[in-house]
This record gives sequence, C-alpha cells and structure tokens, in this order.
Amino acid sequence: MSQPGLLDSPEVSLSDSLDLPWLVVVHNDPVNLMSYVTMVFRRVFGWNRERAKKHMMEVHRQGRSVVWSGGREQAEHYVQQLHSFLLLATMERSS
Amino acid sequence: MIFELSNKGNPFFSNIHPLLAGLLQAAAMDPWERYPEGTARLLPPPGGDEELLLDWQELVQPELRHHFDLERSLVAEDLAEMHEVHEVKQKKGEGWSLEIPMDHADAWLTTLNALRLALVEEHGFTEGDLSRNDALDFSSERGLALMQVNFYAFVQECLLQTMESTEGEESDGGDGKEA
Repeated sequence: MSQPGLLDSPEVSLSDSLDLPWLVVVHNDPVNLMSYVTMVFRRVFGWNRERAKKHMMEVHRQGRSVVWSGGREQAEHYVQQLHSFLLLATMERSS
Repeated sequence: MIFELSNKGNPFFSNIHPLLAGLLQAAAMDPWERYPEGTARLLPPPGGDEELLLDWQELVQPELRHHFDLERSLVAEDLAEMHEVHEVKQKKGEGWSLEIPMDHADAWLTTLNALRLALVEEHGFTEGDLSRNDALDFSSERGLALMQVNFYAFVQECLLQTMESTEGEESDGGDGKEA
C-alpha cells in the first residue's frame, strides 16, 4: 500500500536516497593539542563542550572520528574548514 | 615568564627570557621557506578520491596557503609590538613583554600549530619525543627544535585557556549531524 506524502517529504527525495552520504572523518595527529582539537570542533560545528570533547577523545583513543555526514559539497566545506585549523580531515563515501 | 590578562583583557606574556623571546619572534617565520620538508603535513589530501584530490590541489590548497599567510601576518604585527622591559632598580619585570589582542588569538593558534607540525615533520619527532620529560640537549638543533615545539604548545594552551574562560556554554548547533 502506498504511503501518501513520503516522497514529498523535504528530508527525503528520490535522488538523495540513491546517493550514499559523504562522511567527514578527523584522524589523530599527536602534535595537535587535545584542547585545540576540542576548540576547533566547537568552532567549526557549533557543538557544546561536551560533544566536542567526546569526538576529540574518539580521535585520540580510536585514531579517528566521524564528525559529520551528508552531501558532498557540505562535506568539502567542512574538510576545508578543518584543514584551515590544520586538523587531519578527510571525506569518504559511507559504505 | 608570566602569563596573565592585560588591562584590556588580552593574553599578556611578561618577563619573557631573551631565549624564549627569540623563539616567539621565530613564530613569524614562513614554514614553507624555513622547513620545506616539514610542510607536507600542512596541506594534507582530503581523501582518496582522485578527482577530488586534483580539484583540491588546484582550488583549495592555494586558498589554505593564503589563509595561513594572512594569519602569520597578524602574528608578525603583534610581534613587532613586543618590547623589552628593564626595571633594573626594582630587580623585577625584566625581560620581554608581549600582548596578544584577543581577536588575533585564532591567528596565533594556527600559526604556532603550523610551525609545530612542520618542525615535527622536519625532524621526525615521535609521539614519545613529544611527551618526554627528561632534560633536552639544547646544544643540538634537534634539541632546540623540540624545545620550540613544546614552548609553542605552552603558548597555545595559554591562549586556549583564555578563550575557554571568556566563552560561555553553547548549545548544539543545528548544522552538525553525526553519522
């Protein structure tokens, strides 16, 4: 049975559903201070201290943290911003 | 060396030893000229996608390089104001003083970080080297470089501490999404 309105939802469109989102990943670099990485996350993503610290600790302990997912253009924008703060950041397709 | 806030609420370093003053002055150095081997780390690739990499090299990396140059010019401006204080009679307040305008803090953080990354890459310092607490050999270029890396980290921490204390808690932004 069809569900009226599903394809009309602004969050879901046919083209989006065929595209896998891009992930923005921050990688560990022992030179970057933990307090600096936390600050950068707050500045770039507008997160509060707790959330920024959570992702910073993920980078520190696990070597990487996925900090954002979404469209390619926005992913490029975030990676560029993170690079402007000299963080090691990459973008990759979600699998 | 003393770190405090100035009357204007800016980060203020005083009683700076001449050796450390020299290291601060070196912060205005262009890492691409001074540490060419080390600057590979400053413009990393954005990922494995070849098309993205080509676009990045052509369009984004020159922008980033320009951004770093601008930040460094702000640091150079502040360093030009660094002055030596001689209070010989009172035997206090000797050494150099440096005030960093709060709105230049980002520029200092980025510029010092770039130098730290370039120095580490240039000299092949390991994580162990960065966290060692034993006495360094300042007679060697490598020992001096490590001192520079650690001193710049100290200055960064002072700036971050000041920024932290002047910023209030913020709520989560609507733009960030977790995967």
